[in-house]
Formats: sequence, structure tokens, C-alpha cells
Amino acid sequence: MPVILVDRLPLPSLKTYTVISVALLSCSVYYAVQVTSEANWKTNATTPHETVAQASSGKIQDHAFTRVQQAIEPGTIQAELPPLLKAKPTLSVQIAEVVTYMVQEPLCIWTLMNMAYCCLILLGKLIQRVVFGQLRVSEQQHVKDKFWNFVFYKFIFVFGVINVQYLDEVVLWVAWFSVLGFLHLLAQLCKDRFEYLSFSPTTPGWSHARLVGLLFAILLLSGFMFLICIAVGFFDGFNTFAFMAAECVLLTVRTLHVILRYILHLYDMRGSDSGSSGNHEGLARVVAWEKRGPVAYYAELVLELAALLVDLLHHLHMLLWSNIFLSMASLVICMQLRFLTHEIQRRFKKHRNYLWVLNHLEQNYPMASAEELAQNSDNCAICWEKMETARKLPCSHLFHNSCLQSWLEQDTSCPTCRLALSMQSPITRDHGPLDHTLLAVDGGADGVQVARRPPANHFFHFDGSRYVSWLPSFSVEVTHTQLLRADQGPPVQTSQLDAMARQVQQLFPHMPMPVIMDDLRLTRSVEITIENILDGRLVAPPGRRFHEEPSGPIAISSVPTVLPQSAQPSAPDASAQSITHSDSTATDEEPSNLGGRFSKSPSERERILHLRKEQLLQAARRRYLDKQEGSKPSFDSCVVDENVIAPDTMA
Amino acid sequence: MAGSALRRLMAEYKQLTLNPPEGIIAGPINEENFFEWEALITGPEGTCFEGGVFPAKLVFPSDYPLSPPKMQFTCEMFHPNIYADGRVCISILHAPGDDPMGYESSAERWSPVQSVEKILLSVVSMLAEPNDESGANVDAAKMWREDRAEFNRIAEKIVRKTLGLS
Ligand SMILES: [Zn+2]
Ligand SMILES: [Zn+2]
Repeated sequence: MPVILVDRLPLPSLKTYTVISVALLSCSVYYAVQVTSEANWKTNATTPHETVAQASSGKIQDHAFTRVQQAIEPGTIQAELPPLLKAKPTLSVQIAEVVTYMVQEPLCIWTLMNMAYCCLILLGKLIQRVVFGQLRVSEQQHVKDKFWNFVFYKFIFVFGVINVQYLDEVVLWVAWFSVLGFLHLLAQLCKDRFEYLSFSPTTPGWSHARLVGLLFAILLLSGFMFLICIAVGFFDGFNTFAFMAAECVLLTVRTLHVILRYILHLYDMRGSDSGSSGNHEGLARVVAWEKRGPVAYYAELVLELAALLVDLLHHLHMLLWSNIFLSMASLVICMQLRFLTHEIQRRFKKHRNYLWVLNHLEQNYPMASAEELAQNSDNCAICWEKMETARKLPCSHLFHNSCLQSWLEQDTSCPTCRLALSMQSPITRDHGPLDHTLLAVDGGADGVQVARRPPANHFFHFDGSRYVSWLPSFSVEVTHTQLLRADQGPPVQTSQLDAMARQVQQLFPHMPMPVIMDDLRLTRSVEITIENILDGRLVAPPGRRFHEEPSGPIAISSVPTVLPQSAQPSAPDASAQSITHSDSTATDEEPSNLGGRFSKSPSERERILHLRKEQLLQAARRRYLDKQEGSKPSFDSCVVDENVIAPDTMA
Repeated sequence: MAGSALRRLMAEYKQLTLNPPEGIIAGPINEENFFEWEALITGPEGTCFEGGVFPAKLVFPSDYPLSPPKMQFTCEMFHPNIYADGRVCISILHAPGDDPMGYESSAERWSPVQSVEKILLSVVSMLAEPNDESGANVDAAKMWREDRAEFNRIAEKIVRKTLGLS
């Protein structure tokens, strides 16, 4: 493979490459001019190459070549004219002649192609400069991976699947895939950049505009390329059309997907500053959000599935196209097919779960009435925004419909009080704890890792580019249901415990879950715990009303054993409340203007945060040194307090 | 989607700036990426970590608050519930679905009503009261149980380091 060689060699910088290409091109042009300026060059130069050159120039799609192709016609006409007329060639005729010659001479063709690639790379560089600016490391890595993957698969496609025999056909396919790959890479870059930009609330509008503009340009070009597919398919049969069109459609669908997500994001972020203060515009947006939820969901679903299905069909087509069942190519395609079918299955399962939750929500939990909403002055606990409409759970906690929906898709309890909702989705029933691979969220950009997969080796990912950069990366998902069952030996205890606790709580709704759980850990039997409660041995702690508070988040996880419930009398948020009220008299020099302000300007926010950090560190340092000097040795005998954030009275 | 996560993070940042809990500061490292925060946590009074200011990095998923963030101390730490690389092992940071060990009841796990503030407060009390049965750092757990004096000495060293006094 020449590819490896290229990667191993230190590539020349873009500048030198451009210079070399231009020099080569001008050399060959000069050469062509020299040759054609001789009166009877046609008779001694062309005949052997003529057929090849015309065969190749007839079909070439690459932009540079189409122009050449157009130029051929006058040239060939010229060839048939008597030499008398050629005595005084006009400039245009001469250019046409030169071009004709260059297309016929193999050496010149290569320099032309080289120049075309050079232009493509320069164009890419220009777009990168204008739209993206400096690429981030992860973006570079993605593009590199994607590039080598693309090259690898297309190599397999051209030589393994279609089994091209003639050089000119190879040239055509290479030209086609170059343009396609170029657009694919751009689309990938746009996606990465969009995901990155969506992590910031303060992205300037123009960078959004440029990105969206580029996305639409890609969309337009992919539509144009689809037209080319149709044209080629018209002459060359359905199979060629299908092979070419699949990639175009994929590109279109992926671009559309990014555009859709982008529009949704911009829509969400519209006026987010004003939204947080809860004014009228914000409210209108929240209401609109409720309505557009399902529409956006289905649009995404359709696009995602469309991309997967087209890809699947494309690969099936490749597999069935020629007798390659026992070749290396078929192996690679089969692996890809397997991956795609799993992806599709996963998407369908996720969708089933979505439908199930939606259905369950609508049937079991009513929308909160106007009075209930009025009584409840709190914001939605999930998104912290005001509720205009809300759904009510049996524990009378209120949430936005869409917020609750997305939470219940992954867990079946009330977010606030943990009341287990008596719902068992078809999927959770099958797999015990909800299969988290179902909930894989579309990966964020670097740094933001979505907790998508359980540590168990569910997911086999082969990243060939780690070893040799041209190797592809595969992801194969292995669903070992049996393994899952085997896993559920000892650990089941807790889910059993949970289930038992739920049983008990249905009988005694006034008992808080943690108390029941504690007792169940000791008794290991629903009956005995129920007896304990009936006999009054188990009492709901005072001050902790039914489902009012989340259990203290203090509990620290331990690995091998069952965790003792940390028995803390007061929830930490309560103590935090009291602290925020007690004025910060502690650190003697903390200027009050830093703590109580949330600036509108991002740079000022950053500056203030930095200052606050500095001050905290300095205050701590001074306090520590003071103490070292023994000037205030008052805390030596301090008992460890749970609410360690008690106001600092030292300084 | 990132949009709703972003709004929620903005709200939390605002709240943490306007009403900061004592000894805790948290905010995005860079406003260009609101999903990576740095938090400074003051070691709780009356414990071996007293006086130290411990920096930690919080990384939020794009579906926050449906999934919990990840937290990792960026300074040297020696604590039974903190892995050697600084990752914090605490039940509030575990999603309800994923239960690698199968020992936690879902009641203590992550839920969207939790927040950065609650996580940080939990971590403060974890610093005060290690769970010595945890396997996050077995050496630290063992030392905490058996050789408290040595543990305190190491903690003291770490405290000095975080203050830049070493
Ligand atoms: Zn909400
Ligand atoms: Zn509830």
C-alpha cells in the first residue's frame, strides 16, 4: 500500500508542496507548448496515447478535468484541418492545442492531477482558516482518523468490491472519492466544532453563522453530486448509481442531522440570559419547548435511522455485488454490517423505551392543575426553570413533562424523593438494571465524557490507528446476555433489597425509604420488617416528613461491603442554607463585592472567579501560618463535625 | 441536549457565585467550555485536612443533569475514597443505573435534583469522615484504620503542598 509509505515519510509542508506542484505544472505546460509549437507534432507524438487519453477524459468528473474535456473538442477538430490554416494559430487555438496535448501525454496528466489535489488541499486550508480558525487537537485527530478510515474503506471498495481493472477507471473513482471524502471531512469538522461551540453560552453569532453557512454549502454540493450520480447511473447502470448515490445520501443525511441539531440548539439558547431571570420571554420559550419536544425527537430519530439504514443497505449491496464472500473485503464488510445492525437495534430499543415512558406518563400521571402550580412556587428540580405546565407524580412532586420524560427513560424513580414508580418498561424487565448502552448519548467533544457504557466489556472497540495509522477503527458491540445473568449473582442483593423496600413502602407509605432499607439490611425479610414496623420498632425519624427530602447525599461509597447508611440528622443543603445566610465575616479580607455579583460579561466573570480563588488560597495560607505560629491554638480538640462547613470563626 | 445542560449549568454557576458555601469556590475553567469546571475545596475544620485548599476538576456530560459529572482532584490526595489519580469515589456521583459493585441502594445515587453544590458539600464531609471500607485507595484505607498518626502526617504534608508551603 502506498498509503503507509506516505504516512511514514515526513510530508513536505503545504507551502513547499504547492510550490513543487506549481513548478511541475508549469514545466509540463512549457513542455507541451514547446511540442505543440512544432508544425507537425501530431503525426509524431500522439497516436499511441490517443485512445487511452480519450477514454479517460470522456468520463472524468473532477472539476479540473471537465474543463479539459470541453477543451478537447476544438482540439480534435483542429487536428483534421489542413495544415494551411494552422500556419497562423490564434491564442485560443494554441491553448486548446496545448491542453489537448497535455491530456494525451501521461506525464502531463499526472502533473494535472497533482495540481488538482493541491488545489483541493488549498481550498480545504482556506475553508479551515475562514470558518474554523485553529483546529483543536481532538478535531485534528478526528479528521485524521476519518481520513484514513475513508481511504481504507474506499481502497477495499475499489479493489475488493468493484474490482477495477483499468487505470482510467481507477482514476475516475479516485477523483469521485476525493471530492466526496473532502466533503465528508468538512462535515465531520462542522459536527465537532458545533458540539464544541454548544458547550459555551457566549459564542459570538458570527461564528455560528459561518458554520451554518458551510453546512448549507456542503448540503448543496452533496445535492449536486447526487445529480452527477444520476447522470452517471443513466449511462453506467443501476449498480454504479447505487454505489455512488449511497455515499451522497449519507453525506446529505449527516449534514442535515447536524443542521437540525444546530437549529435546535440555537433555538434553545435564544435569550438564555433573560430566561434565567424568568421574565416573559423566557416563559414563552419554555412553553414552546414543551411543544417542540416530540417533533424534534422524531426528526432526529428519522435522520439517525435513515443514515444507519442507508449505510446498511450500501454494505449489503457491496457484499452481494460480486463474488467476494471469501475474501478479506467481505470480512471487513461483514464486521461493519454487524456493527450497523446492532446500532439500528439499539436505536429501536431506545425508541421503544421512549414510547413506553411517554405512554406510561400520559396514562398514569396527570398534568398538574393551575392551583397546584400556583401553590408550588419552586422551579422544576431537573432543569431549574420555571414551570408553566407540569406533570405530577404520585408523591405530588412536579416536573416539566419533557424533563420528567427524559429522566424516566433512564431511571424509574422520582428524582426528588426517590419514590420508586411502579413502572417496568419492557426493556428494564428484560435486562434487570436498565441497559445503559441503550442510553448512549451522542458523544460530546473532548473532555466531556458521557457515562455511556458500563465498565463490563460490552463494547469491543478496535482502534487500529493506534498501531498503524492507516488501520481502521472498528466498534463491535457484544451483547452477552448470559454474562449479564451470571453477573447478577451476589450483587442482586441490592436490587432485591430495593424491590423488597418498595414492597414494604407500598404498605407503609409514611416510612422513609432509607429507614426501611436499613431495617431490611438487618432482617433480610419483608415479613420481619413489616412486623417491626407494625410493632413500632421502626419509627420514621422526626422532622423528616414523608418524601420531603432526598436522603443525605453524604454517604460515601465503599467497595466490598454494604454501605452503612450515614445517619445524619440534617441534610447538608440545609446547613448550606444557614451558612449562606451567615455573612461571610470569616475571611477577614474578602471584599464583599466579589461574592455577591454575577457579571453579565464572560470575561469579567472569569476574572472575578480567578480573584476569588486567589483570595481563598491566600486566606487559607495565612490562616495556616498563623496557626503554625501557635497564636491561636483553639481548634485542637475539635470534634469531627458532620457539617464541616460550619462558619469559620477563626480569623 | 447540550442546550438545556448549558442553561442549568449557568444557573448553578450563578447561584454558586451569588451564594457561595463557605470555603468552596466553583466555576468553569474557561467560559468557552462550560462543561469543565474547577472547584476549590477548603479542608474541613478539625480534621487532618484542615486548612488545605484542594483543587478538583469537574467534567459534566452533555446530558447533565440526567447523568452525574465526574470529579477528580488535581492535586495530590491521600484518602480512602479517592483513587490514586484523584478520581472521587462517592455514591452521589454514581448514576442510578450503573452499579459496578452492586452495593449501593439507588437512594444515595445521582439524581437530577442534586447539584454541584451538593456534590462539593458531600465531598467536604467525605474528607472529614472517610469511609474506610472503600477500595478506592486501599493503602489509605488501611492506614486510616491502623496507623492514624501516619495518615495525619501524610495529610498534613498534602495540606502544606496545596497551600504552596511544602
Ligand atoms: Zn424542567
Ligand atoms: Zn417525589
